[in-house]
Amino acid sequence: MALKEKYAPSEKEAAFLATVENGKYDRDIITGLKKFMAGTVPQDMQDFYSPEELDAVKALDGTDRDVQARMPVKITRHYFEQARNSKAIQTLVKASPKETYDLDGAEDPGKQMTYSPVEGLIHKYELGLIYVASTCSAHCRFCYREELIAKKEITREDGTVAAKGLAQIKDIVEYIIEHNRLVEENGGRHPETNRERLREILMSGGDPMVLGNKNIAQWLSALAQAGIENIRIGTKELAFHPKRFDDTFFAMLDAFHEAYPRVNLRMMVHFNHPDEVLLKSPDGEFIDDPQGGLTWHPDALAAVQEFGNRAWINMDNQSPIIAGINDDPDALRILQREMKRNGIENHYFFCGRDIVGHKAFNVPIEKAWEILNESQKGLSGVEAHARLSITHYKGKTEVAAVTNEPVPGVKGGENGVVIFKLLRGAADASNRAKVTIVGRNPEAIWFSGYDDRVVVDEAELYSMYDIPAISSVAAE
Amino acid sequence: MTYVVTDNCIQCKYTDCVDVCPVDCFYEGPNFLVINPDECIDCDDCVAACPAGAIFNEDDLPEEKTKFLEINEELSRVWPQITDQKEPLPDAAKWDGVEGKLEHLIKEAPEH
Repeated sequence: MALKEKYAPSEKEAAFLATVENGKYDRDIITGLKKFMAGTVPQDMQDFYSPEELDAVKALDGTDRDVQARMPVKITRHYFEQARNSKAIQTLVKASPKETYDLDGAEDPGKQMTYSPVEGLIHKYELGLIYVASTCSAHCRFCYREELIAKKEITREDGTVAAKGLAQIKDIVEYIIEHNRLVEENGGRHPETNRERLREILMSGGDPMVLGNKNIAQWLSALAQAGIENIRIGTKELAFHPKRFDDTFFAMLDAFHEAYPRVNLRMMVHFNHPDEVLLKSPDGEFIDDPQGGLTWHPDALAAVQEFGNRAWINMDNQSPIIAGINDDPDALRILQREMKRNGIENHYFFCGRDIVGHKAFNVPIEKAWEILNESQKGLSGVEAHARLSITHYKGKTEVAAVTNEPVPGVKGGENGVVIFKLLRGAADASNRAKVTIVGRNPEAIWFSGYDDRVVVDEAELYSMYDIPAISSVAAE
Repeated sequence: MTYVVTDNCIQCKYTDCVDVCPVDCFYEGPNFLVINPDECIDCDDCVAACPAGAIFNEDDLPEEKTKFLEINEELSRVWPQITDQKEPLPDAAKWDGVEGKLEHLIKEAPEH
């Protein structure tokens, strides 16, 4: 049998890797509902699901509406403890039959496979995204990587069908070096895509923070050695098990920084609701911190402060707006304020993607805009940086504005229009900042909800699917 | 909750599981591998990777294999960690699928 050839670290990487220790983590994960049904979960978790809730999910097992097969159920002890006092975050982790009432949706939302030159790598924008783990410590029911987490088989560009695989260090390093060589030879732009060199890689999954320190360290040093200047780690572990960010982890980061002092780390964190980090009084209210702001869970605060102490590390939060979880301006206002106060930039809020079963989670686009806009009233300028983004095949698109003044002659225009703006185009971003304007449809949860009311389509969000804009029809 | 290596790994030890494990929670004896239940994060990757079909989710363990839960826990505390895939045992193909392999399990930790 031929063993796979592994990546061979350089001497410099090996010296750094020799210093890294793996920590031990007691996440106390409960996977699946079997233990809840059998009553073998710890005493205080017994009533996390009611008997009726368990029966309703169980009734769907093995059917085409199987909720557990759609997305495995998984929770950590820490998240359970936060969820006990929060309906919102119970909804985030608890399986519900609602998830499969309507199975409409796409198996590969955002058509990511189009942009996958190497297994486990998505190179759509200027940065590369790699899948390094196929699980998280707990599972968000609305996860849009459900095909990866639940190991579903999807159709590839070449027509073959297989589950999405994880990135291998050797493949990724070879791709980066070859890409950047071509760019350099061609005077700073890739001969085919016109992209600049790859400077930034986002480690995603799953959650890279389920990996041991040694494994994370191998990725960090290999990417740095390959010439990557900014490494992102996309993680929800600060919410699921903040004790993961222990002394051994920060010692590893400090050793990495010593070896590669000019490489930045960007922690892309994922908090959906303030209940995930804040403590509550017995009557369910947040607790004022006498020294300012609200009182955080000490483990989450300690981890965030450790990151904050390192000037070479940034933290950015991004979160979808999900029905029944955070479609709540007051919660989002507190979230944005507490993030910024503690050194976490508010980056994006997202409209839900059109994953299979998305109708159980998605908030209509215009409603999501209104919620975010409402939440940002009363925030200071620096607290209100976050934009509402919806991911189009063409690129990240901002829901820039929803108007209320009637626009005659436009379907839906009696209520006003929605203005989309491309924030980041795919490849060389030639279409950045272009705008599309559509007549309003308060029910729309995806771009397709506006197919019959496109007014202006400079961004080509619709014309690429041969859907005409009224402006272009009028011109003909 | 954890995943559990069961009897069909004995005398085979293909180690494909070690290559896919994201948290390096496999431990190696002379003719068997085990999973440390505290370190396993339930990703399910090793189940499909095992050519011998020897790995089960704790909740899916067949009745007659439940004793392997304890065996995995016990031996993962004494055996050394294995982090890289290696060649299977020489007679792996011959032993794959043989019934009643538990009696061949060697529990002693390998000499260093």
